[in-house]
Amino acid sequence: MSAGILLNATICFAITISSFAFAWVLARDDSGHNDKSKPALWSLIVLWVLVGLTYLPTTVRMIAASLGNQQLDLLMYYIAAVPFSFVSVPLVFFILYVIIGDQRISGSISALFVLFGAAYLTFFYSSGVIGPTITPLTSLFTINSDIAINIYLIGLFVIPTAMIIGLLFLIFLQRMPKRLRYRTALPLVAISFVFDFMLTDMITLDDTMQLAARIFVLIGTVQAFLAYFPPMNLQEKLGIQKYESNLYEKDDGTDFDDDEEVDINV
Amino acid sequence: MSEDIDVMLEQQVAEFYQSLGIHQGPGDIQYRLILKVLGKNEGRITEFSEIREYTDRLADKGSIGSKMKTIFQLEGLAEKVKRGGYVITDKGITASNFLKDTTAFYKKNKRMGEIIERMP
Repeated sequence: MSAGILLNATICFAITISSFAFAWVLARDDSGHNDKSKPALWSLIVLWVLVGLTYLPTTVRMIAASLGNQQLDLLMYYIAAVPFSFVSVPLVFFILYVIIGDQRISGSISALFVLFGAAYLTFFYSSGVIGPTITPLTSLFTINSDIAINIYLIGLFVIPTAMIIGLLFLIFLQRMPKRLRYRTALPLVAISFVFDFMLTDMITLDDTMQLAARIFVLIGTVQAFLAYFPPMNLQEKLGIQKYESNLYEKDDGTDFDDDEEVDINV
Repeated sequence: MSEDIDVMLEQQVAEFYQSLGIHQGPGDIQYRLILKVLGKNEGRITEFSEIREYTDRLADKGSIGSKMKTIFQLEGLAEKVKRGGYVITDKGITASNFLKDTTAFYKKNKRMGEIIERMP
């Protein structure tokens, strides 16, 4: 049993737990969001659930690899491929809905990515995988289909990543309050982190790179959590805290303007 | 310049600027509509009745006439060339271009506001 593989399993488990927890917290706060943002919110919840569902079998896979159970390792790799190949669907819906605001168009275009995902899975399952190669850090499989990798790279990775970058540019080019900039840009950066490093994780043949990619996926998940629920000291440091106007007591009868007026009259 | 004047849009833009505390110039619907009509007729005489086609549902004849005198003629944005006939000046064109920028700013701001509203 290698300590490296166990560390890898722990990281996968941490990603699973934090993704599910984040999805749950977002779903719990559903009533706090306006009707216009709800479709985007639910696509985000589905996205994080899919991330969690990808890393749950991966955790079991790592444990199986550390115990030398190659059959379970392979089975879990096949299971993890299913949620993984559909991660881009809610992501594309989220970005398109936020930009154009039309649920039907966003839904139709994201349905195309279901086809991409299904095509990827078809080639992936029909061609099979080579491995596992057990290293001190992880267990690696090689996808035995160039078409599957190409579909993944072009359909599932390049287009959604380009969409995220486009939306980020749209936000950065606009002058807006710091708080809003933080609230809109950081979730996108976090999603981009998770999404891009998930790809690296899936197709890399280097064990150190895979472990590093998983650490970055975990960082991305934490980053997403911080984007939606920034701690008070971080808010103060960044100057993004929201002041509640109803905390102000209005019943003392005087305010700054009245005092100023008195001074002027004197 | 032959673009149509969308009174509803102009009203929304004016209300947006009023909400920012800008009640005159870009935040004044009468100013916007008069300047839009004058700008549309660049190089031609704009009849007062033509301005009123757009402003009648929002303001009375007197206040538009007063605005023509106290702002447009006084500041040199338009010149009276005959009874009830005005032409836009170069300075007026500058003001008209600025007005277009304020509409573009409003649209950009609105679009971004909607994007932010849809972000969970």
